[in-house]
Amino acid sequence: MTENFEVQFIDRDERTARFLVRGVSPAFANGLRRAIIADVPTLSIDSVRIIENSSVMFDEQISLRLGLVPLTTPPNEFEEGDIVTLALDVEGPETAYSGDLRSDHELVEPADTNIPIIELKYPETADSPQRLELEADAVMGRGRDHAKNQGGVAVGYRHLQTVVVEDDADEYSDSEPEILRGVIEERAAEHAVATDGTGEPENGALVATETFDNDLSKRYPDKEVSVRDVDDAFVFHVESDGSMSVDELVTNAADSLAERATELEQAVQL
Amino acid sequence: MSYKCSRCKRDVELDEYGGVRCPYCGHRVLLKERSRNIKEIDVQ
Repeated sequence: MTENFEVQFIDRDERTARFLVRGVSPAFANGLRRAIIADVPTLSIDSVRIIENSSVMFDEQISLRLGLVPLTTPPNEFEEGDIVTLALDVEGPETAYSGDLRSDHELVEPADTNIPIIELKYPETADSPQRLELEADAVMGRGRDHAKNQGGVAVGYRHLQTVVVEDDADEYSDSEPEILRGVIEERAAEHAVATDGTGEPENGALVATETFDNDLSKRYPDKEVSVRDVDDAFVFHVESDGSMSVDELVTNAADSLAERATELEQAVQL
Repeated sequence: MSYKCSRCKRDVELDEYGGVRCPYCGHRVLLKERSRNIKEIDVQ
């Protein structure tokens, strides 16, 4: 299967990407999706030592919020079970943000610095401000054990689709929008009109449906069209929580799939 | 056991004979202060 494996990017960013994979079965596509969600180890806070907490929230609630803060996970630096220590010390009246976390490893830090953890006050009736001081241990873990370790969020795929122009549209019929979302492979360029940012229609080109407002009647005006799935071609949409780039996330997921396949192969050999 | 009087805000030590009462101002409402120990919590 792998010999004619083809990957083509549609959008590519640090945090999100959309790419087309050709020559894979639906089972493999789903395996890759699941691996991205559940099998790429990332760092996340796993135990918290509360030194002082005079805020209005329970220690356990604050710990849970801290656990869900995505931490950058440098590649090939940590193994599963490795620990990084972080510390937080904030005094009211101020909001404690994820950016206030200080780590003891230069490459590990909160992926987003603007996640509120708790709002601390200095109540008029109190003689001291509310204060939160704690130490936390971040542990490398997998998404299948706890959702806080999911590196990939909003991961999905759908078939690559193509549009077949059947006929001219009925002259007197009202033109209704034909909504399609995803990516299409152009195979009827002679009937298509250029849509914003994509240049002249060309057979074989990949066109995101957003470029024509997800409306096929704008791309193929006055035509009767039908939509078909392209066999064994899937468009993945992957979003990273910031713990690593989408590239690393997907390659790590593919590696983990390969690893487990080899493991299974060795296990069933007589 | 260490408490804090809710009226005079002073630290109060209670023993089993004295009853619940602040020895300084006689107030009967005492508040339990949070312990200074470090508390370790597993995130789940």
